[in-house]
Amino acid sequence: MGNLVQAELRKTTTTGLWWGLLIPTVVLALGWGLATGLFGKFFVDFASSSDLEEVSDFLGVTPDHWKVTLFGIARAINISTIFPMVFGAMAISGEINRRTITTTFLTAPSRMHAMLAKMLVYVLWGAIYGLAIMLFVGIGVVLTSNSGQLPDAGGWAMLALACVLSSILMTMFGVGVGALIPNVAGTIVLLLLYFLVIENVLHFVLVYLEVPTVIGFLPNGSINGLTGSVAVDLFLSTAGVVPPEVEDVLRAIAGAGGALDWWWSGLVFLGWAGIVFAGGWAVTQSKDIT
Amino acid sequence: MHDGSGLIAVQNLTKKFGSVTAVQNLSFTVSPGNVTGFLGPNGAGKTTTLRMLLGLVKPTGGTATINGRPFHQLGQPGRVVGAVLEAQGFHPARSARNHLRVYAAAIGVPDAQADQVLGLVGLGTAADRKVGGFSLGMKQRLALATALLGDPQVLVLDEPANGLDPEGIAWLRTFLQSYARMGRTVLISSHLLAEVEQTVDQVVIISRGQTMFYGPLEQLRQQQQRRVLVQPSDVNALATALHAEGVQTIEQLADGRLAVSGVDSKHVADSALRAGVSIYGIQEEQVDLERLFFQLTSGQYAGYAPAQNPYQQQGGWA
Repeated sequence: MGNLVQAELRKTTTTGLWWGLLIPTVVLALGWGLATGLFGKFFVDFASSSDLEEVSDFLGVTPDHWKVTLFGIARAINISTIFPMVFGAMAISGEINRRTITTTFLTAPSRMHAMLAKMLVYVLWGAIYGLAIMLFVGIGVVLTSNSGQLPDAGGWAMLALACVLSSILMTMFGVGVGALIPNVAGTIVLLLLYFLVIENVLHFVLVYLEVPTVIGFLPNGSINGLTGSVAVDLFLSTAGVVPPEVEDVLRAIAGAGGALDWWWSGLVFLGWAGIVFAGGWAVTQSKDIT
Repeated sequence: MHDGSGLIAVQNLTKKFGSVTAVQNLSFTVSPGNVTGFLGPNGAGKTTTLRMLLGLVKPTGGTATINGRPFHQLGQPGRVVGAVLEAQGFHPARSARNHLRVYAAAIGVPDAQADQVLGLVGLGTAADRKVGGFSLGMKQRLALATALLGDPQVLVLDEPANGLDPEGIAWLRTFLQSYARMGRTVLISSHLLAEVEQTVDQVVIISRGQTMFYGPLEQLRQQQQRRVLVQPSDVNALATALHAEGVQTIEQLADGRLAVSGVDSKHVADSALRAGVSIYGIQEEQVDLERLFFQLTSGQYAGYAPAQNPYQQQGGWA
């Protein structure tokens, strides 16, 4: 197995795809981080100078101590992890497309060995992407925010954990879909359409139908819930007493519409990743490589 | 684990793709120590058979084993069998050396092996070039290098001469023969008998997914018929003389010559001398292996000759 893992790792490092996708990832993360800081500052200035002071009294802290950047960071992680998902999606579909899958299967004890080795390597890549995303979101936010709106050390650590976890899970999900639909263009178009459009529309429908809890069990809803819930929990821990209605609104802003705990959201998404990987495994196992 | 015999055994192998039967009840064995040619026209089922042997295509029925085991039970397949398949993939952005290092890691052989096989196939100077810029012949050589990485006991090659120049083909021939002489098994497919005639010792000829001939090439050669075409001064006298000597197959051709089978031209000339018949012309004709191969495999996807155009209306323009 160690041999196959090394082979899969070499496959990823001997072509340019890893940095080709990492560049737009960190640019997006940095840009979102910068925008988060600027928007947070604008919002707090607005809140401090208006009638909204009442709300701040109500929450028990002055607006300049609201850690509003948390929501932006959560959203930045959600959007940036689309890239590691695409990277993962190319793992198997790319090999089928370029027919290198033939030699891969000829040199592995079994197809399952080859796929598991691939999954392990892409978990590692997911973690690397996650750390890069966190680093660049952090740089962006720190550059443009007042220190009062930034999380404390524990908060940063918690966000970094959520970011790396989220990135790993998204990559795994991509690997599974790429195995299920062995076509590079089809896989990527489907993933982007689903994560950026289809499920967001579905969220509106679910809210309209007054069953918003379902959102937390959908793929995009659960992965957003992982980072979003961490952000909301961190915000609430310093914001004083918040009534449940306001908490729901905050969760929606952070992207954690389903209101599940962060670890629950992670488990739900892990379940989705497991389902698509099992499906992809079944397809690959019985596929005739002609 | 496998028995290390180097034996390839195909038994009653069948593959159906939907309603199309690609391979039907195919059986043959390939033993180590010689090069076996796997021959048949395009679409005869060669590639499908080899891919079933290599575990890439699942048989509908029957078995295909290497060293007594199906491919997925070989443990470390890269060390047992190396394969060069048609349309085998390379990542265009990866260099030849990196391509080989990926699979050297998978098989579990040291990286130095990558440079060694590159030198072996004559690609040493192109090691750091990206495969996307390789010619078809260079890709074939790289595919062979990949197959040789694990120093396998069994080598399976699907149309390996495709894209190779005459020099490359001559090199491949020598290489495969010496590989087999080391006591290893070499199975090589081709749709042209002439292409592998000088390379192989054994042949398996298939057509329409079925075995047509299976045995030593020498045996196939013996099946080929020779005949002597002779123009005598007296056809009847020569025919009678030959008949009296026990020659059975004598045929008179339209151009007045006799076609005599089963004897050589010397025999015919001597008989003519004894019978007092003059010979104006004599020639030996051999039905070559290619024609024999054609007879064994003809029929599948046969096109019409222009004169037999089935769409021609009878008497349409007359």
